[in-house]
Amino acid sequence: MEAAIQVTKISKTFTLSRKQQKIEQSKTKTKVAVNDLSFEAYPHEIYGLLGPNGAGKTTTLRCISTLIKPDMGDILVQGKSVMKEAGDVRNAIGFLTSDMKLEDFFTPNYLFDYFSKLHGVPEDLAAKRKAALFHKFGIDRFAEVKVGELSSGMRQKAQLAISLVHDPDVIIFDEPTNGLDVLTAKVVTDYLIELKNEGKAIVVSTHIFSLVEKICDRVGIILNGKLKATGLLQDLVAPEDTLEDYFFRLAQEEGDIQ
Amino acid sequence: MKNIWTIFKKEWDRVIHDRRLVISVMLLPGLMIFLIYTFMGTAIENFTTVETANIAILNDTAGFKALYEASEDPLVTDIESITAEEVVTYQEKVDNEEWHLIIVFSAGFETYAGGVDKPGVTLYYNPNNPDSSSVFGRFQGYLITYQNSLAFELYGDTRYFILETSNTAIDPNQMMGLIFSSLLPMLTIMFLFSGAMSIGPESIAGEKERGTIATLLVTPVKRSQIAIGKVLSLSVLSLLSSLSSFIGIIVSLPKMLAYENLDASIYALGDYAMLLLVLFSTVFVIVGVISILSAYAKNLKEAGTLITMIYLVVIIVSISSFFSQGAQQNPLLYLIPIYSSVQTMTAILSFDESVLTFLMLTFASNLLYTAIFIFILNRMFDSERIMFAK
Repeated sequence: MEAAIQVTKISKTFTLSRKQQKIEQSKTKTKVAVNDLSFEAYPHEIYGLLGPNGAGKTTTLRCISTLIKPDMGDILVQGKSVMKEAGDVRNAIGFLTSDMKLEDFFTPNYLFDYFSKLHGVPEDLAAKRKAALFHKFGIDRFAEVKVGELSSGMRQKAQLAISLVHDPDVIIFDEPTNGLDVLTAKVVTDYLIELKNEGKAIVVSTHIFSLVEKICDRVGIILNGKLKATGLLQDLVAPEDTLEDYFFRLAQEEGDIQ
Repeated sequence: MKNIWTIFKKEWDRVIHDRRLVISVMLLPGLMIFLIYTFMGTAIENFTTVETANIAILNDTAGFKALYEASEDPLVTDIESITAEEVVTYQEKVDNEEWHLIIVFSAGFETYAGGVDKPGVTLYYNPNNPDSSSVFGRFQGYLITYQNSLAFELYGDTRYFILETSNTAIDPNQMMGLIFSSLLPMLTIMFLFSGAMSIGPESIAGEKERGTIATLLVTPVKRSQIAIGKVLSLSVLSLLSSLSSFIGIIVSLPKMLAYENLDASIYALGDYAMLLLVLFSTVFVIVGVISILSAYAKNLKEAGTLITMIYLVVIIVSISSFFSQGAQQNPLLYLIPIYSSVQTMTAILSFDESVLTFLMLTFASNLLYTAIFIFILNRMFDSERIMFAK
């Protein structure tokens, strides 16, 4: 099967400001966020990028979504390069991260229509999708309430629905259940499994072991910008072992924990 | 094109459906200008209205009376004949700013027929009182004329030469043009800028700060379309904001200039059309600059600081119209953004002959600058370092 996402040897280095240098307690002016990282994600699967904060998960996802460009390497999304065909890549993906917010002044209803238009979705199709997604996440109850007045759970549901206006084949979620209450988190994870069953390729980043065990088919463990291990969950973790133990052993090898 | 319209519409809705923004951006500027100008007009009117001039005259003569009565408005001139005993009392009144002027003709003034003992006229006024000084100045003038006429009666024409001055009839259009042309361009540019300033940073720096720009940047819409959509909508909104100011100025200027007996009806429709063309093209340049600064700034606060600095420069450039007599004639100056707009407006308002050339140069150069600004903005939207600067 052809990979929906093919990440090939990407590296990304950031220049640190003085303030960031202090926060990172680093004496160098640059930080290698992602280092020679490669993995693939296929249709009909959820690929989980597991790693601690600052490991490079979000940077990798932002490279896939074309928000930033890798310094080296390339990423193909459905055969299109993020470096050369960024517009096509954006059309094919749905990207959700906590960095991406909705404007407080508008209602979920308005914003769904707005982003549908920007994605070139025909009006009648957009209306059908809106009805289905709003119903699924219970957004219809607050569709006409300004985003600024919504609770964080409602807001995330609206963000989720809006990131899927164009029914993308590739879905990228940065920390999909972060900040969600248990009920909403279940709605979201169930929906991700539903999307996978529809044939979508899904990449999620997380630091929650249980989430990976629950929804991911394959996992990539990322530490200090490097992919330490990747594969099917059952191949990486022995039956008598847990993902958590496996992860901490890798972190120990990496020198992240004593 | 469709995407540009979608982005335009959203930016438009953001402002138009926000009652507070509409009031502060669209209604308040015009209303404030109207109120300020009306107040200023009334204040100036009060300042320049002369109250009744009080003049006390001892031994007034028929010849002098004929002279001042011909020039003074009897409604605001109170002339009283006094006696020699009363002079001291009136002097006190003048000292206390209760009276303006005392004129004392010496006894036997009219019977003088030549000789050593010339009659005299004494004036008493209070230089500390501006009204007293003004009345003194007028009556001194009448007395000099009276003096000449009496000399003529006595000795015939003793003048060595006859001095006559004449001047071009005052053209009310040109007079009004000068007043308008020194005031309006500066005010218009300032209001145009402040209009754009109140919504521009919110649309770009605000989106960056709140993280909503990323949501827009992961859509397949081209960066150039985002740039054009935003600049277009901000320009139209800023234009509406400045139109509000403009209407405020037009409505209140007659009141402000009422004491000059001038009105703004001297301008034809064509003049207003030309002004609008300048406004249209200038607003693009202003919005372009504000958008670039907003895109560069890390947050709204920084954008505000950067834009205020440019605003100060723009004010200094706009003030140039205040100190120049009419429009600059060097066509090259019409390629300098903002300055060209100020000068072209001056040219339109003061009925300059080369106005069409200036207008074309300004319009074309403004469009060129706008294109350059949109190109830069497009590149900035594409730059992760600028868009995701922390």
